[in-house]
Amino acid sequence: MNKERAGSLFFLFTGIYGFVLAIQLPLGRLNEPGPGILPLCLSILLCISGLSWLILGKRKSGEEASPDLHAIIKNLATPLQIVVLSAAFILTFTLLGYLVASTLYLFLTFLWVSRFKIWVAIGLAVGIGVGSWYFFGKVLAVQLPKGLLPL
Amino acid sequence: MDVLNHLLNGFHTALSFHNIYLCFIGCLWGTIVGVLPGVGPLIGITLLIPATFQFDATGAIIMLTGIYYGAMYGGSTTSILMNIPGESASIVTCLDGYQMTLKGRGGAALFISAWGSWVGGTLSIIGLMLLAPILADFAMKFGPPEMFAVFLIAFILIGSLGRNSFFKTMPTVFMGMLIGTIGMDPLTGVLRFTHGSKDIYDGLGILPVAMGTFGIGEVLSSTEGSLIRIIHKVKFSELLPTRKELRASLGPILRGSGLGFVIGLLPGAAHILASFVSYMGEKRLAKNPEEFGTGRIEGVAGPETANNAATGGAMIPFLGMGIPTGPAPAVMMIALLIHGVQPGPLFISQQPDIFWGLVASMYLGNVILIILNLPFVGIFVNILRVPFRILFPIILLICIVGTYSVNLSTFDLAVLLCFGVFGYVFRKLDYDLAPFVLAMILGPSIEVAFRQSLMGSGGSFSIFWQKPIALVLILLSCLMLIWNVFRALRLTRASWEKALELSE
Repeated sequence: MNKERAGSLFFLFTGIYGFVLAIQLPLGRLNEPGPGILPLCLSILLCISGLSWLILGKRKSGEEASPDLHAIIKNLATPLQIVVLSAAFILTFTLLGYLVASTLYLFLTFLWVSRFKIWVAIGLAVGIGVGSWYFFGKVLAVQLPKGLLPL
Repeated sequence: MDVLNHLLNGFHTALSFHNIYLCFIGCLWGTIVGVLPGVGPLIGITLLIPATFQFDATGAIIMLTGIYYGAMYGGSTTSILMNIPGESASIVTCLDGYQMTLKGRGGAALFISAWGSWVGGTLSIIGLMLLAPILADFAMKFGPPEMFAVFLIAFILIGSLGRNSFFKTMPTVFMGMLIGTIGMDPLTGVLRFTHGSKDIYDGLGILPVAMGTFGIGEVLSSTEGSLIRIIHKVKFSELLPTRKELRASLGPILRGSGLGFVIGLLPGAAHILASFVSYMGEKRLAKNPEEFGTGRIEGVAGPETANNAATGGAMIPFLGMGIPTGPAPAVMMIALLIHGVQPGPLFISQQPDIFWGLVASMYLGNVILIILNLPFVGIFVNILRVPFRILFPIILLICIVGTYSVNLSTFDLAVLLCFGVFGYVFRKLDYDLAPFVLAMILGPSIEVAFRQSLMGSGGSFSIFWQKPIALVLILLSCLMLIWNVFRALRLTRASWEKALELSE
C-alpha cells in the first residue's frame, strides 16, 4: 500500500458515498438543471479517479516495499495527543468557559505533549491562558464563552 | 490622468490618522503571523474580522489587506534564520536563505528579502492600479456563460499549477467541489448532504475548512519530529549586504516582480507558485546553477520578490471580478461582505473611494513594512526565540479562537479539527491542499453559472459558443486540458520507461 493507493481509497469511498446520496436528489431537466447534477457528476469522477489510482498507482523507485509500522506509530503519537486534547477543549469550551477550558488545555498540552515539569506547565498555562483571554476577549473584542466564571 | 486623480483622492483617504493607524496594525499583525510557522495570513485575517466591526469598510479592508501582504514579508524571517518556512510561499527561501545564515550572511539575506519584497510589492500595486479598473469594465459585459467559462479556466489552472501531476491534483479538486455542495442549493433551496443537521444548512464554512486544513494540519505535521528548534542570531550591523550582493540581486528582483505579478492573476497557490517559478528561473539563468542551494543571494531575492508581487496580481481578479484566487482573498471577501461591500465588476465604479483608498494604503503599507522588517527585524526574531513546544499550543489556540470568533459556533470548531486531521493525513500522502480549498470556494460559483446559463438558453448548450468571450475561454480551457493530459501521460510513460530500465 503506497501513498497514491491510500489516497485513492479515500477518493473512492467519498465518491461512493456522494453517489449514493446524490442519486436521491432531483436532477431536473436540461432547461432547469437540478441540485443533484453537480454532486452526481463529481461523485462519478471521484470514483473513476479513485479506481484508476488504485489500479495504476504503483511504488516509485526507492520507496520502501512496506512502511515501517513502528516508525509510523511513533510519529503519530504527538499529533494524536494534540488531536485528543483539542477535541476535549472544544467539547468543554462553552461549558467551562474560555478561561478555564484554555488554561486546562494548555496545562495538559505543556505537561503531556511538551513534557514540561508540572510547576512550569502550571505557570505557563495560567500565564498564557489569562493573557490570551485578555488579548482575544478585551483587545480584539471576540465574544468568548463565559462558562463557569462571571468574567 | 484619471488614474492619477483617483490615486490622489485615494491618498487623501488613506493618509487620515485613523487609516494610517489601521494600516500599521494590519502590517504589524501580518508580519507577526507571517513569522509564526503554521499561522499565516488566513488565520491572521480571520482573527481580526470581529475587531473590524467597529470600523468603516475602508478602514476594515485597509487593515485586512495589510495583514495579507505583511505576512509575505514576515514569512521569510523564519525561512532564513531557522530553515522553517513561516508561510508556505517562503518554502523555497529556506534553500538558499538558511545556507546564507550558516555562512554568517543571514542579515544580508533578510535585507535583500525585505528590499525585494518592497520593490515587487510596489510594482505590483502599480499594475493593480492600472489593470483592475480595465478588467472590471470588461467583466461588466460578462453574463452566466462568460462567468462559467472564466471559472472553467480557473479550475483547469488550479489542477495544472499544483505541486503534483494533473491526474493526482484533479481528484482533490473534485473532492473540494463536492464538499462545496454541502448545504442549501443556492438556486432551489434543496438541502444537500446535510443529514438533517441545521448546523450545515449554510455549508461547512470556508474558514474552518481552510484553517483546519492549512493551520491545524501544519501544526500537526510540525510536531511529528523534535519540538526543539535552533534559531540563529543576527546583529543589526550585519544587515547590510555587500555591493556584489546588491548587484547580483537586481536582476532577480526585477524579473521576480513581473513574474510574480502575472502568476498572482491566476487562481491557485499563486504565492507558492510564483516563488518556485522564480527560483527555478534564476537557477536556469545563473552561470553556475549548481551553486543554488549553497547560499546564493539570487535564490532569496527572486522568490521573495515574486511572492510579494503576486499579492498585487491576486487583488486584481478579487476586486475587479469578485473571484478570490486564494484562501486569504476568500476570507477577505467574507469580511467585506459583512461590511456590505461586494467585490466584483461594479465595486470599483460604485465605490471608488474604497478601492483607491485601498490602493493608496498599499503603497503606504509597503513603506511601513520595509521599516518594520529591516531595523526592527530583531523584535520579530525574538518571537521566534519562544521555544516551539510553547509556541505550537498558542498557534492552536489562535486557530480555535479565530474560527470561533466568526460565527460563535462550536460546530465550526468540530469542522476545524476534522479538517485539521484531514490536512495532516493528506500532507503525509503528499497531496497538494490548496487546490482542494480553492475548489471548495469556487465550486458553488461555477455550478450557479452553468445552471443559470442553461436556464437562460432553455436547455441549449449552444449558448456557450454563441457568446464570443465564452467560446474563446472554453476553447482555451480545452486546449489547456489537452496539454495537461498529454504532459501527465508523457511523464507517466517516462516513469514507466525508467522503471523498466532499472529493472533490466
